[in-house]
Amino acid sequence: MRPLLTIALRELASYFRASIGWVVVAAFVLIAGLTVAFTTIRPGEPATMRDFFSLSHWLLLMIAPAISMRLLSEEFRSGTIEPLMTSPLSDWQTAIGKYLGGLMFLLVMLLPTLAHVAVLEWVADPDYGPIAAGYIGLVMVGMLYLAVGLFMSSLTANQIVAYLGTLFFFLILFFAASQGARLVGPPWDAYLMAAAPGPRIEDFARGVIDTRHVVFFTAISAWFVVGAVVSLESRRWR
Amino acid sequence: MFGQSVGSHRPSVGGPDDPSPQPYSSPYARRPKPFGIVPNRTNLRCTKPENPSAARSPGSSLPVAAPRVIRLHQVEKRFARVHAVRGVSLEIHAGQVVGVLGPNGAGKTTTIRMIAGLLPPSAGVVSVNGLDSVADSRGLRAQMGYMPESSPLYPEMKVGSYLRYRAGLYAIRGRDRRAAVDRVIDRCHLAEARDRRIGTLSKGYRQRVGLASALLHDPPVVILDEPTSGLDPSQVVETRSLIRELSGKRTMLVVSHILPEVERTCDRIVVFARGKVRADGAPAELVSRHSGGGWRCAVEVRGAAPVGAGGSIGVPGALASLTGVSRVEATATNDRWTRCVLAFEGVHEDPRPAIHAACVRAGLELRELRHATASLEEFYIRLIESADAEHAETGGVKP
Repeated sequence: MRPLLTIALRELASYFRASIGWVVVAAFVLIAGLTVAFTTIRPGEPATMRDFFSLSHWLLLMIAPAISMRLLSEEFRSGTIEPLMTSPLSDWQTAIGKYLGGLMFLLVMLLPTLAHVAVLEWVADPDYGPIAAGYIGLVMVGMLYLAVGLFMSSLTANQIVAYLGTLFFFLILFFAASQGARLVGPPWDAYLMAAAPGPRIEDFARGVIDTRHVVFFTAISAWFVVGAVVSLESRRWR
Repeated sequence: MFGQSVGSHRPSVGGPDDPSPQPYSSPYARRPKPFGIVPNRTNLRCTKPENPSAARSPGSSLPVAAPRVIRLHQVEKRFARVHAVRGVSLEIHAGQVVGVLGPNGAGKTTTIRMIAGLLPPSAGVVSVNGLDSVADSRGLRAQMGYMPESSPLYPEMKVGSYLRYRAGLYAIRGRDRRAAVDRVIDRCHLAEARDRRIGTLSKGYRQRVGLASALLHDPPVVILDEPTSGLDPSQVVETRSLIRELSGKRTMLVVSHILPEVERTCDRIVVFARGKVRADGAPAELVSRHSGGGWRCAVEVRGAAPVGAGGSIGVPGALASLTGVSRVEATATNDRWTRCVLAFEGVHEDPRPAIHAACVRAGLELRELRHATASLEEFYIRLIESADAEHAETGGVKP
């Protein structure tokens, strides 16, 4: 467990040692702040953060691949994967440590947005249930984006390819769920809709914590993390 | 977790008569075990083995009373279309410093990556201290300090932080971690660079950081891939002396293209070509094997002899007909003298008086006569050429 945490903490620190971490956090906080300022903190608006949560998952779709693209690709490109893979860690520990590092960064990035909750509390009387559900939803969708990003990153030494691979994967998924479902019709449209994260995220934003959604995000994330481990292991045999 | 997993490994190869020592346990593991008897190179040379018939490693003049640490048996490695390593068998004993030589694509880096637990063999067995590289890969890697070629590091990290991070990967923590980091910083002369970012360091310093990280867990086996690649001459000398300092009780494998470096640093040399081990032995032994075990003399006499076939210089008859001469190479000097290298294979008596007498009898003006020792470079080039010729004859696929 300790070596796994060592990898995760190094990963987290590396975002802030390089400019990418600060840029990503600043961009997210700025856009999230503007969203809250222009949609929520207005006279007559309900004291919810629903608009913030709805927008944030699209923001995360752009930002999470930028967080995950370097997780393994950078190690392959710089050759640092070699000392890592000759240390007495399992490939599981390496991949999960990297994933946890990315996830910790995501949480750190979300942390400043709690200020919006404080502002809402100051100017109104918000219901904390939907807000908590919205944050759980953001973390869940972030887990999914990062897991797919980790998998893409395990396939290539090129960070741009890893970024675009993750982004296009989800854009295709969203497109397939919205347009594809209409084209194929019943009964296949139900399967396509079930594979789409969008409606599930909307539920979280409305304050609904559906265990099916929790299982969906957790299971799909776990599948992609396992895929990354297998991809990493396969490098030993190639 | 790490300490327990290492401690639980049992030797899985070699059978009951396997002389491999018990699996190594890091001094930082929760239940540390002593090393056992690990003689250094000095001990190896001085120790009289109990069984003289089994006292020397194959192809080496080094006594092998020390336990066998690294064992490769009929190891093969195939990539998609490349047969990189072909039936390599090798035994390396505790305390040996082994130089691994070979041209690019010879299979040496693939072989050491298999020993380091990075790649599994396609066939055969690789074991370190009795731990199989596939079945006990993590245990094996725990015993290994590996510095890859060009020493890849994280440029954004400071030296001290990087070493602490690496110590964490080996489950070294708390006071042990501080002690381990201080020890390697001192050992690799990194005190000045401790708080500097790795990205701002010179190549020489970066190599030292790589070396320091390979030594953090005090491994019994250290593998250095091209440790002096890209260094300036003074850094090369520094790194070389560092390797000699570090060897002591450790078994070390040094992969290099630089023959004088290997000759000065290593007790034993293994030469790879076309995926196979082509030579294995002590440097002096290999060179003497190349010279046929006899004498080589360099002679310079006045006047270029007639040009022979292929642009070579003809050899003065008085020298070519000397008793015991097995091979003569002649070249013309810029000032029109002829330099001959005479090989007397199997001749143990000094032939220089006879050469001098022959020159005097033939009226050849002599300006130099000396004992010419064969160089490792000559041996190496001849070996690679013969490997290439053999490969061409068999029409093999390029490894």
